[in-house]
This record gives sequence, C-alpha cells and structure tokens, in this order.
Amino acid sequence: MMHNTDGQSEPVNLVSPAQQSYLDQFREQVSATGGTIEFVARSPEAVRDAVLARASSKRPILIAEPRYLSPDYFRPLRSEEGVLTHPHADDYRSAPVGVTEAFAAVARTGSVCVDIGADIAGYVSLLPRLHIVVVDAERLVFRPSDLFRLEQFARPTFHRDFVFISGPSATADMGPLVRGVHGPHELHIVVLC
Amino acid sequence: MPKRVTSPREVAAKESRAILRRAIRLALDTESAAVRHNTRSFNLNRYRATAALPDYDALKDEARRIKEHALVNRKALVQRLSESVTRNGGHFFFARDAQEAGQYIQGVCKRHCVRSLVKGKSMTSEEIHLNGALEHDGIRVVETDLAEFILQAADEQPSHIIAPAIHYSRERITALFRRKFQTDLPLDTGEDLTRFARERLRQDFLAADAGITGANLVSADCGSLLLVESEANIRLTCIAPPLHIALSGLEKIVPSRREFASFIELLAASATGQPLTSYTSVIRPPLAVPVVDFRGAGPATREFHLVIVDNGREALARDAQLKEALYCIRCSACLNSCANFQVLGGHGFGGATYSGGIGATWEAATTGQLKLARFSDLCTGCSRCVPQCPVRIDIPGLNVELRSRLNKSIPLSLTARAMHLLLGASPVENASAQQIFFAHYDRLARWGTLFAPLSNFFSKVPGARWFLEKSFGIDRRRHLAPFPRKTWVDISADEVTEKPDAPRGPGVLVLADVFTNYGAPERGKDALRCLRAAGVRVRLTKSLPDGRAALSQGMIDTARAQAETLSRYIAAENAAERPLLVVEPSVLAMILREYRKLLPAEAFVKLQNSTIDLVQFLARHFAEQGSDPRAVFNIRKFAPGPRVFYHAHCQQRAVSDPSITVEFLRRLGFEVTCSQVECCGMAGSFGYKKDFYDVSQAVSEELVEQWKAAESAKGPHTLLASGVSCIEQLQGATGRAVLHPVELLAKLL
Repeated sequence: MMHNTDGQSEPVNLVSPAQQSYLDQFREQVSATGGTIEFVARSPEAVRDAVLARASSKRPILIAEPRYLSPDYFRPLRSEEGVLTHPHADDYRSAPVGVTEAFAAVARTGSVCVDIGADIAGYVSLLPRLHIVVVDAERLVFRPSDLFRLEQFARPTFHRDFVFISGPSATADMGPLVRGVHGPHELHIVVLC
Repeated sequence: MPKRVTSPREVAAKESRAILRRAIRLALDTESAAVRHNTRSFNLNRYRATAALPDYDALKDEARRIKEHALVNRKALVQRLSESVTRNGGHFFFARDAQEAGQYIQGVCKRHCVRSLVKGKSMTSEEIHLNGALEHDGIRVVETDLAEFILQAADEQPSHIIAPAIHYSRERITALFRRKFQTDLPLDTGEDLTRFARERLRQDFLAADAGITGANLVSADCGSLLLVESEANIRLTCIAPPLHIALSGLEKIVPSRREFASFIELLAASATGQPLTSYTSVIRPPLAVPVVDFRGAGPATREFHLVIVDNGREALARDAQLKEALYCIRCSACLNSCANFQVLGGHGFGGATYSGGIGATWEAATTGQLKLARFSDLCTGCSRCVPQCPVRIDIPGLNVELRSRLNKSIPLSLTARAMHLLLGASPVENASAQQIFFAHYDRLARWGTLFAPLSNFFSKVPGARWFLEKSFGIDRRRHLAPFPRKTWVDISADEVTEKPDAPRGPGVLVLADVFTNYGAPERGKDALRCLRAAGVRVRLTKSLPDGRAALSQGMIDTARAQAETLSRYIAAENAAERPLLVVEPSVLAMILREYRKLLPAEAFVKLQNSTIDLVQFLARHFAEQGSDPRAVFNIRKFAPGPRVFYHAHCQQRAVSDPSITVEFLRRLGFEVTCSQVECCGMAGSFGYKKDFYDVSQAVSEELVEQWKAAESAKGPHTLLASGVSCIEQLQGATGRAVLHPVELLAKLL
C-alpha cells in the first residue's frame, strides 16, 4: 500500500472491493465514535512518522511491545527521544501519549482490539490522554462476532485478555456527552495498508 | 397530608400504595424533566441501533436460547466455572445470600488489610448492600462510575440499571457537587464536572488496595468476564489495584467465551444504542500484566476472587411463571421504551436496587419480599417493551403475575366481596374493590346500559364522583363516557345473523368486544358499514368479555375463564374458520399475545391464525381483490381535509404492524403524521385511577406536543387513535374530537 503523492494518507491500491467497503465503513465508524484515523504504508518509518506527528511535542511517549505485528514496526520509534518502553509508576502517572498495536479491527463498530495481556498494553492503552493504536488493514473483520468464530478462539491462551476499544473514553452521566473520562481523551488509529 | 419526601431513599422500598404514591410525587416534582430527556434519547438511539443490526431478530433468538439453556444447566455451569477460576489461579466463592457474599468480601479485604477500594458499577453490589458492610469495617469505598459517584455524594439509590443517576440534570449535579465538595473550581459544564470527578478519582484509582467490579457475563469454560463500559473506570478498577474482586449473579454464567459474541452487539444496541460502547473487555483474571506500584507499597502480586451470588435467584429459577426474569441482560431497553418510566424514572418506578418493568420481579426475588414488587402497579401492560427486549422476556406478563400474587396475599375486603356478589362475577378472585370494578367492566356496563339514562343521571348526581373516587379510586377529574341506551349488538341486530341480501364476498366474523359494544356502539356500526361497502359478508358475534380488563388488574383466573369461554364460543360459531375481525386493539392484542399463556396451545393457534385488526383486514381485502379502495372510500366526502394525526395503540403495535393502517389511509389520499410516543398514558383503566392520574397526564404531554408541532407545521389535523382509552385520553388532553380509523373510513362512504 502506497501513500498518495499529495501526502494524503488515503489507501490507493486495494486488495478487494469487499475489503475497501470494510475499510470505508471502519473509517466512518471510527469518526462516529470520536476517534481519528489515518492510513500509512507498511513500513517502520511510516509508523514512526505517524506517531510523532500525532504526538506533536507531547512527551514522554509510552510504548507497549507488539505481539502480533512485527517488532520491527516500532524499532525506529524506540530510538526517538522521550520514548519509553519500560516506564515507572511516575511515568504512567504523567505520560501524555501511549502507543500500542491492535491485533484486529472491526469495521461495523469502528473498534480496535487490543490485547491487554501483551506486555504493558493494558496500562499504555489506558492511562495516557492520547492513545495511538497501530493495526494492519489485513486484520480488519466485519463484526465483533467474527473474531469469536476464529478457530483459535477456542484455545484458552488465544487473546486471554483483550478489549474492544471504540473511541475515547466517554460519559453522558454529567449531562451532555463528554469525551475523555478515566481513560484516553483521544484515540488515534494508524492503519497499515 | 403525608409529609413531603426529602430523599428518594425514604421511598425506595415500596411496600405499600401509600409509599408508591409519595415516590411518584417526588419523581414528578423533581426528577421528571431530566428522566424524560435522558430516557427518550436512549430510546431513540436504541431504535436506530437495532434497526442497523443486520440480524437483530436472529441475535435475540440466539441470546434467548443461550440464556434458557444456561439456566437449565446452572448447577453444572457453576461447578465448571469454579474449576476454571481455580485453574486460572483465582479464588471462587458461591454465596447463597447477600449476607454470605458480604461477609466473604469483607474477609478478603481484612486479610489484605484493605484501607481503600475502588468500585465499578455493579447492580449486584447494590442489591447486597456491599458498600455499607465494607464501610462498617472502616474501608473507604469509592464509586468510580460517574453516575454512581453522583449517587454516593447524594446518598441515593440508582434510578436506572445502566444510568443510575439518570434523574440528575447537569444543573442539579453542579449544585450537588458545590454543596458536597465545598469547591470553587468551575463546575458549570459537563466537561467541568467530568474533569472535577476525574481528577479526584484518578488519585483514588492509583491509591486503591482493591477493586470491585460486576460482570456482564461470565464464561464457565475458562472463567472469562465480559465487562461493558464507556468511562474506562472498570478497566482501571481491574488493572490498577493488586486485588480484584468480581461479583455477579449466577444468571450471568454462560457455557463458553464464544457465547459472548451473541451478546456484545445486541447489548450495546439495546442499552445505549451504540454499535459498541467505548470499552468491551474480555478478561480472565488475575491479569497476566504485573502490578505497577502506584501506591508505593512495594511489589505486589495479583489476586482475584469471583463471587457468584444466589440471593433468591435459585428460587426464581424454580418459579415457572417468573423465571424468565433471569434471562435479563440488564440493557434497560424495557425502561427506556416504557412511557411511565420515561416520566418517572426508577425512583418512582423502581425499588431499592432494580427499576422499571423488569425490576419488580428482581426486587421481590432478591429481597424475598413480594410486597416490594408493589411498583409493578406502574406497568400498564402496554407491551411496548416486549419487542424491545433482547432476550424476549414477557415483562408485562411478569407484572400481571406479580399483581395476581399481591392480590392473593391480601384477604378480600368486605366491599370487594360485596362487589363480587353484586356483579355475580365468578370465579371469586382476590382483588381490591377498584380492581374488581375495572375487571368486570362488561358487567357494570351491561347494567349501566340496561338502566341508561338513569345510570348516567346517577353519575351526575352531586357527590357521585366523590363516591366513585372514595370507593373505587376513580379520579374525579376524568371524564366518564355515558352509557349508551343501546349496545353495538342491539343496533346491529340485522348484522348478528347474516341477511339474505348480504354481499356475496368473503365472510367474516366481527368480534363485538365489550369496549366497543358498551362504550362506542356507533363506532362498531361504522365498522360494519365499512365492511359491507367493501363487499364483505359480515356476521357480528355476541358480546363476550375477552379477559383483557381482568388481566390488567392481575385477575388471571377470571381472565382465563373469560378467554376459555370466548374461545369456545368462537370455535362453535366459526366452524368455517372465517377471519375474526377486531376493532378494539387491546382486545386484538389480548387474543394474539396474552391468550398464548391462557389457552391450550391448539385453541390459541386457531384463534391466532384467524384474528386480525379490522382495518388491516380491509387493506388486505382490497389488495387481494386487486380493487381500488378509493372507489369505495371517497376522501372528498371528508370536509375537514386530508391531514390526519394518528396515534397507534401501544398493545396493537406489539402484535401487528401499524404501518398497514397508515399505508391504507395514504392510499385513500390522507396525509398521515404518526405520533412517536410509546403510549398515550391512559392504558385502559390506568389513567382513571386516582393514584396514577398525574402519571397518566404527564405521559400524555409528549403526545400533545407532537400533535401541536404537526399542526403548527402543516395546519389543522384530524385526530385519529385506535383504542377506546387512547381516544378518551386524547380528547381529554386536546379538547378535540378524536376518531377511530373506522369512524374516519365510514365518513368516506
């Protein structure tokens, strides 16, 4: 998958029309949940650039090591200034940005599935105000139930602990809808394609 | 005058009608505006979300099947779950009652020297009064769901099962926080309030020694929990403290983690009306991720306890009539689609823990006290919740059963005995004088009609309405329609038996339901005229009570006896199995829905197959004949013009598609605007009762608003409604004449 020449992160060559329609639906749903989304090439540098651009000047950036994506994708990022892979309690308290992978994405609901048993993803996807998720377009399914139908799902070790994340944390308990409660205030999804 | 209620807690346990009345007053006076706004927005969102679910009906069937199966196998599932949790390295405890559950959790906290703990929203913990027990041990308990945070500050019980502080407007939360927390921080917007709570609570999360959550589902095969939320407080509660205790009722157990798949989208759509809420976690505690030492207490290992609670559920599972309440997945669709709940919320229409139509069974089962189900009186049986329930629970049916048991728990009063004797009603079934009055409407109406106009004269005698209010609780502000001198059957004598010059078209049987027969004979006659004009050979039945009136009062035995009599009569009269046409929608729904539980299967199916709404029959008839209804019904004969505002009857919508009637009217040239409310608020006898008059009026306000909006947008509309009581309610609320669709059609002949 390539970038457009004009720099827009739009997918340009696609595997199949069905996948295109899933991707379109995914993009729409992510916006509906209050998240943001961009499509980048499957390259470690592209992941680094996307994360740094979204994080802007906010530091430190916490990173949870990927289990499903190749660790190479996060390698250039790890050597950047202000990027932490082994945070302490105080880093968790204050870090404004967390980066994790997702092992799947769901078109109909605009969700990403984060394995919170993998490394420190449970904290990194939860405590910082901005959560950036990297997911491969090939891991896009239509509905949540499609994941449960996978053969491997019967195995108890397969995604022992995971969460469907659909937008930033939100509440309607204080009157109007407010985004940003106990979890991230912003969710940014970087789709590799 | 009873003293004014200052806190919802005072009227949480609705042991009597008197407490219920006070709770209704409190809810209407101080909570109604916020509840109306919030429930109606949930309701609209749910309609959108479920319409967007590609396999909504199949998912409901699947969810129901899983729940039925799980409940049958509950013993084995509990055993299997206990093994799974232990295998995962967790601890399992089965608590027979609230006290055992509380003591176990207190013990765990003591062993861990827990000083402060954070809690995610858990209705089960409300049910077992866990906070009080822990606080008694000196533990600081922090509710972290923002709604529960509000309630903890206000010391109130939940008013909704997924949005426990739904009765709080933003303005009231601001006032509460100012008073409670003595702060000068800005608190004037939702953002301000959320920031304030978040900053306090973030400290509490990181300092907590333990976290307590509920669970939406628990899987027996591997001990996984399904946790659905939006605020991320549950995720934090599970991960930040080293000790996690999850608390859940035994009905939440499903065989395997794969079954979660059938509930995830269904629950989100039915609850908040979203494709999914922000976080749907599937976890198998204790979590593998190490504990981060936020507390500065040194390294800690994770520990997990799963407490499965019986607390009345086992007894409920063995209760053939009520057990389906255990399939409830706590989505709140039945609350948000309930017209009465929409104006009251759970402080009026609810108990100490559970609220709304489903809540009464839960409140009685988990407290072991039937009398605490008294708020089931607020279920009018309108049945709008029935198509909304993701596990297809017959919620009105549960409330009728509760009402019947409540009736039987109170000895018959002298007045009630006298009523039975006077009316010659059998069987003699325990009920209040008011209930007997409404249940035997047919008998009263027969006497009233027989002695009209004398009977009508009596109702105008000074003091008569006072007497009716005192003796039968019939609100004196309600208009009572006079009894006609002749009934529908009387004025249609020609139609009772087929005339030799009757049309040769298909033959039908028209049910002379008691409401139309005694309450609106001319409407009945209009219905027959329409049919004859359409070339349909008509035969009118005798007027027999169908059981609806009795059933709505919880008099199930009487209703069953009437259903059996009617069913036998129809079977004898209708050997040719002609369509059975019904004018009054509450009777139509009685036959098509409620008879399933009252009649033997064969008799029910026979009636179900032949019974149809009269206007819908007409629409079908013209479609089948391939003829144009405009040749029979000429809209130009209707001087007021083509604009109509139509309110379809609540129970009718549970059994048939109102759009058929609407499309038929459009075909004739009418411009139809439909009401978007769940119920008009009258709901049979409900709105006539003094205790509920104000609720009924509050419900009707939205309907009137919609009618006014239609008129101000497009000019005058003819008001149209299909039920006897809807028509009465709309006429009362608008001061305008309201027509039944057959009356409108008859004007086009």
